[in-house]
Amino acid sequence: MSGRPVQITGMGIVSSIGHDIASFGQSLAEGRSGIKRLDWQTTPVPPVAVGAPIADFDIEAALGSDAKLALRMARRAPFTVQTSIVAATQAWRQAQAGEIAAERIALVVAGNNTTQNYQYSLQAAFRQNPEYLSPRYALQFMDTNLIGALSETFGIKGEGFTVGGASASGNVGIIQGMRLIQAGLADACLVVGVAADLSPMEIQAFYSVGAMGGRRFHDQPEKACRPFDAAHEGFIYGQAAACVVLEAAGIRKISSLATVMGGTTALHATASSDPSIEGEARAMRGALRQAGIDALEVDYVNTHGSSSPLGDKVEIEAIEQVFSERFPQVWLNATKGLTGHCLNSAGVVELIACVVQMQHGFIHPNMNLETPINARARFCGGQAVRTQLRTALSNSFGFGGINTSIVLRK
Amino acid sequence: MAHSKTRDDVFEVVRKNILEVLPDLSPGMVSIDKSMSDLGANSVDRMEVVTQSMEDLDLKIPLMSFAAVTNIEGLVGVLFENLR
Repeated sequence: MSGRPVQITGMGIVSSIGHDIASFGQSLAEGRSGIKRLDWQTTPVPPVAVGAPIADFDIEAALGSDAKLALRMARRAPFTVQTSIVAATQAWRQAQAGEIAAERIALVVAGNNTTQNYQYSLQAAFRQNPEYLSPRYALQFMDTNLIGALSETFGIKGEGFTVGGASASGNVGIIQGMRLIQAGLADACLVVGVAADLSPMEIQAFYSVGAMGGRRFHDQPEKACRPFDAAHEGFIYGQAAACVVLEAAGIRKISSLATVMGGTTALHATASSDPSIEGEARAMRGALRQAGIDALEVDYVNTHGSSSPLGDKVEIEAIEQVFSERFPQVWLNATKGLTGHCLNSAGVVELIACVVQMQHGFIHPNMNLETPINARARFCGGQAVRTQLRTALSNSFGFGGINTSIVLRK
Repeated sequence: MAHSKTRDDVFEVVRKNILEVLPDLSPGMVSIDKSMSDLGANSVDRMEVVTQSMEDLDLKIPLMSFAAVTNIEGLVGVLFENLR
């Protein structure tokens, strides 16, 4: 492990399967999926009506009346900003991050193109009366509005920026936060994965390009997301805002939830959506090498596992290569079977899922795995398995040949 | 164009929008002699009140018209003049 050890000291989440860490963890353990039939209110109505939305979100109830500044910041903000503030508030409180000097806390927002649906929702009125467009749009159309809103809410004064890596954005954010701490540029870093808020245009395009599922099982939404099952047919759109506080070990007395041992991003030089066995294997090996951990020591891999036929096949082959004789012993599951694919925030959501499983000693179910595409792989089935986990790997892969992997230790 | 709105009606529209943009204020705090800055509005908040008030009053006034406005009374005045 290079540089200073980096611990996780706070976590927060607003997802389709829980609006805090406790309920999210409970849903993981029980295999409760957030995927359901969607009742679109947009025009035109998107071609897929299956997803895992954040439902029943109430900003005032979520924050509580004592969070005055957070409330003021969030009240007139778009949904993605509101949910980010709530997830970050949970993590901030758990980490008691207010104890750390403001100038030594960094802020990394994971996700690009976070305002697509916000912009889309304003377009019809804008075409009629451009004069009445809210001047606030000048701030709010930018992804970096989240940097302003979160830093003002928590008084963060260190380095701050947004990072993107398509579906691997969350992992890219965690890796960047880890590096800021390892390099001594910050003592702590709030990493916030932004909830995806897709407009009908992005849904249509993901559908048209063949990446999005929800066709065959359109009338049985609970069966639509089936990572590593022979009947998988594409990702199911999910929403979650998720946040972790990363922190240098030993700067104050606070319990560590897990240690981020290493993390690597490896490209495979493509502008396409095609995955690569070589690229994915290189990311996993790079993360293990950086962590100073042998593949034999890994208990569990939280797969990217998006329920994409090609993506799942390529990933399982890459995992088989990396772990070789260890492969049949490594536990595998896919959190996306329960949460849907949370896109920008998926890496942060799944890092949190790893920590929760390590803390409570279980592997959450892999949904709808009736005919596994690999007979040697040790997938969790429909019920959670109780087992102690010490070392985990979390994968996220994105369009444009972006392969990432993170190594965690309890 | 004929309209039946009084200066007080316009003030009520502006007041409603100030309270919407700055929800921590109590209605009694918004009096016509105050400036929005006094009430804690930043530049974006102020422009949002102007834009929303124009929309509520079905007005399209060049933003330059508000350049000399220093308080709520001035804002109400410009909006009211343009109603006629």
